[in-house]
Amino acid sequence: MISQFFVLSQRGDHIVFRDYRGEVPKGSAEIFFRKVKFWNDDEAEEAPPVFNVDGVNYIHVKVAGLFFVVTTMVNVSPSLLLELLQRIARVTKDYLGVLNEDSLRKNFILVYELLDEVIDFGYPQTTSTEVLKSYIFNEPIMVDAGRLPPLGPAAMFMQGTKRMPGTAVTKSVVANEPGGKKREEIFVDIIERISVTFSSSGYILTSEIDGTIQMKSYLTGNPEIRLALNEDLSIGRTGSSSYDYRSSSGGGAVILDDCNFHESVHLDSFDIDRTLTLIPPDGEFAVMNYRMTQEFKPPFRVTALIEEAGPSRADVLLKIRADFSANVTANTITVQMPVPSYTMRASFELEAGAVGQTTDFKEGSRRLEWNLKKIVGGSEHTLRAKLTFSQESHGNITKEAGPVNMNFTIPMYNASKLQVRYLQIAKKSKTYNPYRWVRYVTQANSYVARL
Amino acid sequence: MSGHDSKYFSTTKKGEIPELKEELNSQYKDKRKDAVKKVIAAMTVGKDVSSLFTDVVNCMQTENLELKKLVYLYLINYAKSQPDLAILAVNTFVKDSQDPNPLIRALAVRTMGCIRVDKITEYLCDPLQRCLKDDDPYVRKTAAICVAKLYDINAELVEDRGFLEALKDLISDNNPMVVANAVAALAEIQDSSVRPVFEITSHTLSKLLTALNECTEWGQVFILDSLSRYKAADAREAENIVERVTPRLQHANCAVVLSAVKIILLQMELITSTDVVRNLCKKMAPPLVTLLSAEPEIQYVALRNINLIVQKRPTILAHEIKVFFCKYNDPIYVKMEKLEIMIKLASDRNIDQVLLEFKEYATEVDVDFVRKAVRAIGRCAIKLERAAERCISVLLELIKIKVNYVVQEAIIVIKDIFRRYPNTYESIIATLCESLDTLDEPEAKASMIWIIGEYAERIDNADELLESFLETFPEEPALVQLQLLTATVKLFLKKPTEGPQQMIQAVLNNATVETDNPDLRDRAYIYWRLLSTDPEAAKDVVLAEKPVISDDSNQLDSSLLDELLANISTLSSVYHKPPESFVSRVKAAPRADDEEFADTAETGYSESPSQGVDGASPSSSVGTSSNVPVKQPAAGSPPAPAAMPDLLGDLMGMDNAIVPVDEPAPSSPPLPILLPSTTGQGLQISAQLTRRDGQIYYDISFENGTQGVLDGFMIQFNKNTFGLAAGEALKVPPLQPGTSARTLLQMVPFQNISPGAPNSLLQVAVKNNQQPVWYFNDKIPLHVFFVEDGKMERASFLEAWKSLPDDHEFTKELPGSVISSIDATVERLAASNVFFIAKRKNGNMDVLYLSAKMPRGIPFLIEITAAVGVPGVKCAVKTPNKEMVPLFFEAMEVLTK
Repeated sequence: MISQFFVLSQRGDHIVFRDYRGEVPKGSAEIFFRKVKFWNDDEAEEAPPVFNVDGVNYIHVKVAGLFFVVTTMVNVSPSLLLELLQRIARVTKDYLGVLNEDSLRKNFILVYELLDEVIDFGYPQTTSTEVLKSYIFNEPIMVDAGRLPPLGPAAMFMQGTKRMPGTAVTKSVVANEPGGKKREEIFVDIIERISVTFSSSGYILTSEIDGTIQMKSYLTGNPEIRLALNEDLSIGRTGSSSYDYRSSSGGGAVILDDCNFHESVHLDSFDIDRTLTLIPPDGEFAVMNYRMTQEFKPPFRVTALIEEAGPSRADVLLKIRADFSANVTANTITVQMPVPSYTMRASFELEAGAVGQTTDFKEGSRRLEWNLKKIVGGSEHTLRAKLTFSQESHGNITKEAGPVNMNFTIPMYNASKLQVRYLQIAKKSKTYNPYRWVRYVTQANSYVARL
Repeated sequence: MSGHDSKYFSTTKKGEIPELKEELNSQYKDKRKDAVKKVIAAMTVGKDVSSLFTDVVNCMQTENLELKKLVYLYLINYAKSQPDLAILAVNTFVKDSQDPNPLIRALAVRTMGCIRVDKITEYLCDPLQRCLKDDDPYVRKTAAICVAKLYDINAELVEDRGFLEALKDLISDNNPMVVANAVAALAEIQDSSVRPVFEITSHTLSKLLTALNECTEWGQVFILDSLSRYKAADAREAENIVERVTPRLQHANCAVVLSAVKIILLQMELITSTDVVRNLCKKMAPPLVTLLSAEPEIQYVALRNINLIVQKRPTILAHEIKVFFCKYNDPIYVKMEKLEIMIKLASDRNIDQVLLEFKEYATEVDVDFVRKAVRAIGRCAIKLERAAERCISVLLELIKIKVNYVVQEAIIVIKDIFRRYPNTYESIIATLCESLDTLDEPEAKASMIWIIGEYAERIDNADELLESFLETFPEEPALVQLQLLTATVKLFLKKPTEGPQQMIQAVLNNATVETDNPDLRDRAYIYWRLLSTDPEAAKDVVLAEKPVISDDSNQLDSSLLDELLANISTLSSVYHKPPESFVSRVKAAPRADDEEFADTAETGYSESPSQGVDGASPSSSVGTSSNVPVKQPAAGSPPAPAAMPDLLGDLMGMDNAIVPVDEPAPSSPPLPILLPSTTGQGLQISAQLTRRDGQIYYDISFENGTQGVLDGFMIQFNKNTFGLAAGEALKVPPLQPGTSARTLLQMVPFQNISPGAPNSLLQVAVKNNQQPVWYFNDKIPLHVFFVEDGKMERASFLEAWKSLPDDHEFTKELPGSVISSIDATVERLAASNVFFIAKRKNGNMDVLYLSAKMPRGIPFLIEITAAVGVPGVKCAVKTPNKEMVPLFFEAMEVLTK
């Protein structure tokens, strides 16, 4: 099983190091770091998450800019170890509120205490913050979360919107508030990562939604919770061809390809009325993960054109249209477009009256970059660019440029139309009325338009 | 409450250690705790604080759990270097293990197990015994793991104190967490023990399946992984297991899903109903696809596993190819794996879509990924004949973009396409030639040169093109030089005009005199002699028709694939290597005899032929494109002219000419007489079943002692246990009086099977034109059925041995047998496909482990115990097919005589 667990900083410093079996020769952390840094002869290529050096197997994930690593000498399940590493990161974050080098160093004794309960002799024991609470005695020391980028998908709620109680997500699950009393609240986040590929003519080639219903409970006494989803939700595609898009799905049923649930979820009434019952354990966890390839309306239409304008010049036109309601605003939008490698210069022309937009030509990676602070639903934005080449093009300029890639976050919007109809908390008393936060957010995963 | 822990890292100017010592002995609890924290802080940054051992241990006797844990952490770290002082802690440990607080009891046992000091382990036994029967499940689950810890330190102690039994009892515990840890501990002990420790019976099976539903996700993985070693007795049981495991596919933890997939795939092998299998395949697809929504690291593991699964069961994901399309933001290691699977799933139905994707990838930024995408197009062309033309047109489109590495990669794959479809797509050669000057990578150059040589007659200026390469001949890498040599020879043979003649002179001169590469020189000399001796023969050799290749790159051979599939969800399935190849640990082998077992097993591996010794598969190696078998000569030996006949003989493949099978080797021993001449009216027949080259033959000899010629021999076999029948007509020439003839008659099994208990009787009838029909009886020696691939790896042997119930084990004394030398016996048995796996010594006896396999996968797991030179051998065998056991012992008696 697991021989060692360690956390390294980006510079390779040991932050946490625990040996469970004493069978791996000394210096494993250094060997690991060198291997990862110089995978494939100094090239920028990323090392795979699982590899073997001199009989020692190294399995790692990167979380919050840190390497979480385990070593093992036997033929174990690597997915178990990868899941475990993610889970250790999550539990640590539950305890510390913020996960970074600083918070780990400040709380090293707590971290070692956690590690001793989470793993015994290399075998994972429990990663439930709830269960761990009864065995852990050290109290976390909070680090200043204000300036620190938080971890995890919920972090996106922090960006640019004041609707969210910003500090809540970086609050430790176990520590008490400065006031001494814990605020009773529960967060339910519906987070969707969407992938869409548009063909050069604007058709949707592939589209997919990876969704998670994430919960983070700060409720005392672990009351039971009922979470009701769309009544017309159905699971499993019917019919043989999975990708033949029905002409319209507007307002129709939500059909998931597949989904899975956290082990605390009871599905007794799920088949009848699509409600989930659970007693949420402390800490952040995914109530449900789902995947959907049913047709949905992509939030953005992307059009990109590149045309030759003379022997060593070309014109680029990028256009994005926000296909969602005007009371929703997308933020931190980035549009990137690789251009031919012999591009020397690019000059940009933004639309008249553009606010909060920046453009850049990244010479090193030969990319145009267009950043927009926000886009209001229903609006349309264009960018024109003129490229100057160092040589004549080979005549097939569209093949050497693109695809256009887009990144964005849209709070209070979800593409799948999956919804939490209600969130019911079993009442302890009449006055018990905890805060309930149900939040939706959609993020681009791989949002690509081909040329 | 405790402020910033980081303050413990700060150092004071005066002696730190004395100061800490003082604080550790403070009368105030909080001060002591802070001091221990400082000590630990120093320890984690690598400072030596071992001199404080006594002082820290003194803090151990406290009711404060936080402080106690800190002290324990310190102890684990330093006990090894201070074993004598560690004893000081023992009393507190023992006391703690009886504390009313279960957390303290568990903590004591857990920590003691981590202190790998012999003296401590002695004291560990009693507390451990108590804790295994503790009322609190938290203590029991900690004790269960502790047994594995103790086994790692002192296996004998664990066995002597009956901890293994206690652990087995915990499988029936009512707390699923305890069950899971007991299973994990037993599985680990089993891995390092030769004896069967942890056998899953149908009783434990149902226990484990029940616990599965209730325990944590990690426990589920432990249980599923040990269940995967269970072999179901029949299809019904297999279906039952699968039914209980299938709900795990819905788990959010990918490790649980993959472990469940492993079990389902394994049990599916036993399930006969095609409906059930089809249904299962359908059920597995969505969860497998969902794995690709996880973090990229998990996706990578999932993809490596899916790669194996689609090789075995392509239907599972046949309709899901779109989910393997690369996302823009996938890490490169995920993209590469996706490409590989896309190739595997590409079919005539989806190839247009797939090509569109590949074409996009081929214009991306990452060079390695682009190359792989281009190569993928070529591999699809080779795989799908009907799509080949479309693939080629995409490749040509890509060549036209003139991105250097794309062109080179395209030329390499087009060379393979030519070899797959000879004389079909040569019209594109002209386009390829346009890119000649951009080639700067050896493999691309070599490919282009091969194309020019191979199609020299269709390329008008082939000589000019080759000549342009020849200018730099001495500087080229060997790969290109070899291709240039062969291509020039081809050109010369096809167009024996003046230009090529001069070129060949130059090349041969370059390749013989001015090189120190033995391969190149030898090949050049071979061509030289060939051309000067007999140009026609040279043509036959060099321009012979080439075998058509297929796309088998990245295809695993079926036995390796099966082994890897049995290891789904483990590191082995990620590396695509069998576990033995990267797991070196032979742990906890405390006994001398076991050690020897391990050692010999190791050598056993190196003796077994490694797969794919002669390397590259045809489609990936340019070297094979010439028909000359290039033998690896001793480096640097000058090719003396006298060696010429040998060289030619070598060239024509004389030395590896196949020995004709129907001519028994002259030295073979006389056959047993089955029909004496007295019974056969002068005809004597002797015969014996024998196995050669994977075939069963009836080695039969006729001796004509009559006065006249005997001819028209025919033979027939009665129904028998194995359904052996003649696979061809008996070929015996007319026998002159006083002469004899011996032949090998090919036999085929499983033709006409006689019902009833197996026996070795073979009834034979022989007739000829002159005599009545003769009947006689022969015995079928079971070992003629032992197949050549019956060698088991040590691990699978152990696993198979354990998985077979005890009532499948049989033992027999073979009094007439004697082992005079182990090596000789092993060699002799191996000649009959009984393969040596390992040996160990037990007192003065040698114990050999061997394996053999019958067709249809029936294994025999054999243990032979004997003293060298002393008659009498004890033979034990385990096999799923009990009925064969008597026959098996008969065979062993023959083989060990």
